[in-house]
Amino acid sequence: MAKHSRYPSYDVWEQHQNWDVHTRQVVGARKMPQIAHRYLQQAEALLLQAIVSVLVDDHRLEVLTFVVAHLDDSLASTIGESQRKVGVPPKKELYRLGLAGVEAESHALYKTEFAALTAEQQQEVLRQISTGNVTDAEAWSQVAPVDFFKKLLHDTVQAYYSHPIVWSDIGYGGPAYPRGYVRVEKGLTDPWEARANVE
Amino acid sequence: MSNKEQAQRAGAGQERGTQQMANRKYADGADVCIVGAGAAGGVLAYELAKAGLRVVVLEAGPFWDPQRDFASDELEMQRLAWQETRLVAGKDPLRLGHNNSGRGVGGGTVHFTGVFLRFHESDFMTKTIDGVGEDWPITYQDLAPYYDKIEREIAVSGPSYFPWGAFHGPYPYPVREPISANAQLFREGCEKLGIESVVAPLAILSAPFDGRPPCINRGFCNQGCMPNAKYSGLIHHIPKAIAEGAEVLSDCMVTEILMAGDRVSGVLFSHNGLMHRQMARVVILAGFVVETPRLLLNSATSRFPDGLANSSGWVGKAIMPHSSHDVYGRFPEEVRLYKGTPVLALTQHFYETDRERGFARGYTLSAHGSRPVSMAGAIATEREDQTFLWGKQLRETMLDYNMYARITLVGEVLPHPDNAVTLSEEKDEYGMPVAKVTFSYQENDRKLYQHAIGQMKRIMEAMGGKPEHVVSDTAHLMGGCRMGNDPGQSVVNEFGQSHDIPNLFIAGASTFVTSSGSNPTNTVMALAARTADKLIEAMRQREV
Repeated sequence: MAKHSRYPSYDVWEQHQNWDVHTRQVVGARKMPQIAHRYLQQAEALLLQAIVSVLVDDHRLEVLTFVVAHLDDSLASTIGESQRKVGVPPKKELYRLGLAGVEAESHALYKTEFAALTAEQQQEVLRQISTGNVTDAEAWSQVAPVDFFKKLLHDTVQAYYSHPIVWSDIGYGGPAYPRGYVRVEKGLTDPWEARANVE
Repeated sequence: MSNKEQAQRAGAGQERGTQQMANRKYADGADVCIVGAGAAGGVLAYELAKAGLRVVVLEAGPFWDPQRDFASDELEMQRLAWQETRLVAGKDPLRLGHNNSGRGVGGGTVHFTGVFLRFHESDFMTKTIDGVGEDWPITYQDLAPYYDKIEREIAVSGPSYFPWGAFHGPYPYPVREPISANAQLFREGCEKLGIESVVAPLAILSAPFDGRPPCINRGFCNQGCMPNAKYSGLIHHIPKAIAEGAEVLSDCMVTEILMAGDRVSGVLFSHNGLMHRQMARVVILAGFVVETPRLLLNSATSRFPDGLANSSGWVGKAIMPHSSHDVYGRFPEEVRLYKGTPVLALTQHFYETDRERGFARGYTLSAHGSRPVSMAGAIATEREDQTFLWGKQLRETMLDYNMYARITLVGEVLPHPDNAVTLSEEKDEYGMPVAKVTFSYQENDRKLYQHAIGQMKRIMEAMGGKPEHVVSDTAHLMGGCRMGNDPGQSVVNEFGQSHDIPNLFIAGASTFVTSSGSNPTNTVMALAARTADKLIEAMRQREV
């Protein structure tokens, strides 16, 4: 596995003038996320940002701010969840209960709040939750830790890999309308696509 | 306004909403009311309107304008799916939404990959041939002329020779070229193993047709085609239906089917919070596998206490997804899964039953592109081994995004009555009970997808890649209102006509008896065209 981006000099956003107007607006808005939250309380938003940072292994504030803003938007929204397993609380409750559960687990394991833990300790708290082996079972009486972890990871990853900075990291060519891709066969790239650093 | 002008305006967006209700064409009653403007509803609307019938289509979602409403973005375009919450249950709860459903004019065709396959002869008679599933009341030969018709009508592109099943080509339009690196590698890997493969038959243009351009390999088929190179009901059948006089009312959610004695008299629908009626001589439900049973069950009356068209008890039962596991393999060189039409190569080498494999029926394997959101989401949270990938491991894996290829399964899932759509206690915004969708794989299904995973890994290795991530997923939905000759064991007859209520029809994948191992859209549309022929004749003869 790569430790660093194969495309350190690539910035997909440099291509935005070649994108259609709607796509430009959609992607551009991610570079200027709202900081005021609609559903999450301030403490919850800070906690969520700390958790997200561990889940995606990234500390860049501009990306994390967008991810949390997107999650908050989706929590405030009336749009449905597509599906919800029988017995799992609705998303709004799931997040509120789950976030409280993370804090409880942090206190149970390390006697302090999640944000104050070392990176390794934070990972350990989330690992316990991801496997359902929580210490403070009381805090998870209304929501199964794995259900919360799966939903949170899913939503987080979807938002994170929608940020143009992350697209640049991984060398994703991204939007291609109206110009399309001309060179699609093995070994061919269009002139504007990411080029790996030759080592 | 002329029909043509109305057709041109069809995509013009929100202001449509208020205007359409003030200017209803058939407020005093239509010949046919179609519920759902997807793959089946579009074909029916066009064919019936062309025959001179007064047609109204009610669509729960919006009337999209591709240029204004679509974007080259995965997250944003999740709204093409039916996102209203459904409850899921069973041992293998389904992922719904973008995975298998559409919402808005065009339905699922707006975000399907465009893979356009015919079912094989064996798919219509699995009980007779293999002793599993159930026979359809029709054979391949009954549907063949309608496959021909639909493929011609939308200019399907495909290979000059297709090696499997009863149809060997040629397709109306030339095969797509060039193909993506992922598709090239897949074909090379298959070749090494002696597995035949082809460039996929696609409802995507390889040359100009009907004022639309060929594909530009943008790769966002699942997010809505912006150049209009990919077929969808939104840009083909629905505008043509409107030009023939049909009325399409969008943002109109049908909540109840209205009865007059033993016959359907129309439907009740909600638009902007207000309830309206559409009366019609015939009602056709084309709302897919979850909403069609939900509507039938929710329309129960004292005369039909278990829901409409449900004297057999089969409404909502025997729903089937396709098993659709993915294998991601890492390569020493770049593949770049984001480029080109997502599915450009496939094989049906494993399609028919081979008893030595230890299970009945088979599957299609496709080289399938992937974008960062879907790949990262899947390898993080939908792993076959039920673990999660997150933190440093996920980040470092995704830094190799461009080094991955992917193969995807479309595997036959056999019908089982316990896999069903029922009504839950929860209510939605319209006051309708939320659907509960229960699904568990059965033994044959599991053996089939395990075999397919093995073959996908083998092909991936022959391609030169290292299989690293196996994702557990499903695609498509079928069944829930199956057709049959026996009114005690099926919901509709071979034409989609309810056994119980002669002027109520059901169209679309919900009438499927078995799932096949092929992408279903071609069959959905061919069946709809067959229903249209029958209905036009029946209405002329005043039989319904």
